[in-house]
Parts: sequence; C-alpha cells; structure tokens
Amino acid sequence: MQTGAKILRHFEQELEQLKGKLLEMSALVEAAVQRSVSAVTQKDRSAAEQVFRDEARVNQLEMEIDEFAINLLATQQPLAADLRLVVAALKINTDLERMGDLSVSIAQRAVSLLSEPVIQPMVDIRHMSALVESMVRKSMDAFVAHDADMARSVLASDDAVDSLRTASYHELVSFMEKDPHNIPQALDLIGITRSLERIADHSTNIAEDVLFLVKGVDVRHHAEARR
Amino acid sequence: MRHFAVELEELNQALLEMGALVESTIHCSVQALVDRDERMARRVIEDETRVNQMELDVDSRVTRLLALNQPVAGDLRLLIIALKINTDLERMGDLAVNIAERAISLSKAPIVKPLIDTPRMASLVEDMLHRSLDAFVKRDADLAAKVLPADDEVDSLRDRIYSELLELMQHSPNVVPHAIHLMFVARNLERIADHTTNIAEDVIFLVRGVDVRHHHVAGDKF
Repeated sequence: MQTGAKILRHFEQELEQLKGKLLEMSALVEAAVQRSVSAVTQKDRSAAEQVFRDEARVNQLEMEIDEFAINLLATQQPLAADLRLVVAALKINTDLERMGDLSVSIAQRAVSLLSEPVIQPMVDIRHMSALVESMVRKSMDAFVAHDADMARSVLASDDAVDSLRTASYHELVSFMEKDPHNIPQALDLIGITRSLERIADHSTNIAEDVLFLVKGVDVRHHAEARR
Repeated sequence: MRHFAVELEELNQALLEMGALVESTIHCSVQALVDRDERMARRVIEDETRVNQMELDVDSRVTRLLALNQPVAGDLRLLIIALKINTDLERMGDLAVNIAERAISLSKAPIVKPLIDTPRMASLVEDMLHRSLDAFVKRDADLAAKVLPADDEVDSLRDRIYSELLELMQHSPNVVPHAIHLMFVARNLERIADHTTNIAEDVIFLVRGVDVRHHHVAGDKF
C-alpha cells in the first residue's frame, strides 16, 4: 500500500515533469523565434530550414503536454494552487504552440526575401525582435521562478513593441508608395512585424497567467490590476 | 453543492452565449466595412468588453468545476475543451474588433474596389463558427468533421483577395494604405476560420477521444 507521503511525492514529481515538458517546448519555441528572425536579417536559409524541421516537434509536444496535464487532473485531482498551475500550463501550452506557428510564418517570409535586394536596413526588425525575444524568455523565466515582478516587466514591454511596429509600418508604406516594385517585399516585412507583435502578445498572455498563478488574481482585461 | 450536471449545462449555455455574441461581432464588423458604417463598427468595439467578461466568467466556471467536482474521463475532457473553446472565441472577438477598427479607418476614404469576396468570406466563416458550436452542443463529431474542409475554401478566397489587392497596389501606389487594410481584413477572417477549425477539432477529440490537430499545415499568407 502507498503511504500518503509517497502519493504526495509522486504528485510533485508529476508536476515537475509537466513543468519540464513545458520548458522543453519553450526552449524550442524561443530558438525558433530567434532563428526565424536571423533568417530574415542575416538572409540565412539554413536557419529558416531548421525552424521548419522543428515545427513537428513543437506540435508533438503540444499534444503530449495536453495529454499529460489532463491525466494529471484525472488521477491526482489537484486543488487550489496546484490546480491553478495545471490550468496555467494548459494555457501556456496553447500560446507556445501558436508562437511556434508564427515563427514558421516568419521563416517562410524569410525564404521569399532571400533573393530580394534589401530595401530597408532592417533596424526596426532587429530592434523589435530583440525586445520580443526578451519578452518570450522573461515570461517563461517568470513562470519557472513564480516571479510576479518579472511577469509585470513583460506586460510593460508590450506597448513598446506596438509602437515599434507602428513606426516600421509607416516607413514601409512610404517605401511602397515611392516605388511599386518594393510592394511584395514590403508586404512580407509588414507581415513579419505583425507576427513579431503577435508573439509579444502571446508572451503577454503567459505573463498574465503567471500573475494569476502567483497572485491568484486574474489580470486579463484589467489594465489597473497589471501594475 | 449544486448538482454537477446543472453547472455543466450552465457552462454550455455560457459558451453558446459567448459564441453567439462573437458570431454577431464578426458579422457586424464586415457589414460595417461594406456599408462604411462607422457606428456599427463602434458597437463591435464596445461589445469587446462583454466578450472579455464572458471569457473570464467561463474560465472561472471551469476552474470551479474542476476544483469542486474533481471530474474524470469524459467530463474532465469536456471541461478542458471548454477552456480551449473559450480562448478561441475570445481571440475571434479580438480579430473582429481589429476588422471594425479598419472599417472605421476606411469609412471616410474613397472606395478603391467593390467588396464582393470579403463579405463572401465572412459569411463562410460565420457559418463555420455556427456549425462548430452546434457540433459542440450536440457532441456530434461528424458535424464537426464537416467544418474542416471549408477552411480550404476560406484560404482560396483569401489568396484571391490578396492577389487582386497586390495588383491594385502595383498599379496605383496611392491606394497602398487602403489595400493593406483590406488585406489584413482577409487575413483576420482567415484566422477566425482557423479558430473555428480548432473548435471542430476539439469536438472530434471530445467525442472520439482522438487528437486530430496538426494533420494539415497552416500557411500564413498575411
């Protein structure tokens, strides 16, 4: 017969395993975001191809994590903070998978830009992606460390990403108006900044889940509670 | 403690109510674009608060049901899927708001092309949402499976809209900002369709216990 302590240990092991899987997934997704951006800025085809290859593993992990979390709910019936952790893991899983998709989309555009002359020094994209990559990393670090302050710092960066995107958008539109030959390339660049902005939004979702997890307060859709 | 079945039914109702509101915001956002109706677009933007409130409500219902009833097997799967559908619906609401914002920007600009494919795409997407939620309520995997092929039709409409607008821009660079708005509208509708296929896939998982996600590749055109 199992003792209570043994059952508890087993449960904690399973929670750790769940976190471990999420971290494996977030490491993959973080790398995919970085590679997709360098595929664009360095015109690096092999980086884009690595993103395409890794997508299957991200998708596989998404399904594994869902299944693991559901089994954990069924067999351990966690309560309070543990329940919140499992629910947050399910949500973070969905966000990470979508971030993986968005990197694939950036990498696809990178490939179509490979043969194009550079119309715009990619200062904006470099700047924006540095910020987005740090949001991705910090949101998951905040999850691991249960760090509400770090989660809040992610929320604060989201507005900066939005304004960088708006600035780059206006610049790209003026490139298009000046010379219609620039249009297809500029559209790809607009698409890339849009994907980066969406990746930032998903990091924001993760940070909000972390705040819910740590504080037990749902900060979604409440600007004042985020502070 | 209230009976689990009653609370589950209430959860169903809450999701359906949210689905109906989201369906109407999608419809109104595109209608506002076609009719250049700024007031209608503003109503869509105002409705976002309600959609967000409903999302929080559904999440807290699910968490409470998980905590108090510790369901297993089918009921547990149902609750997890309610969480996922909730996330999808809220995101669709956001996308409709984005269309409404673009409708406002375009309502004062001169018309650059008649909008025929965009409302067609919208009604296809609304129908997909309606059928996927219907499949959820009826726990009907066959009905859900029928939603999936419509996604290809949505994608090809989007491709057509995209290439028409590209051509338009190349001929008259002065319409670039306008055309980009319309491209994003098509892109948002395509994303809404993707979320309806997520719901349909979840229903199939719920009924058959088989995960059908990631069996087709999603190409992001814009």
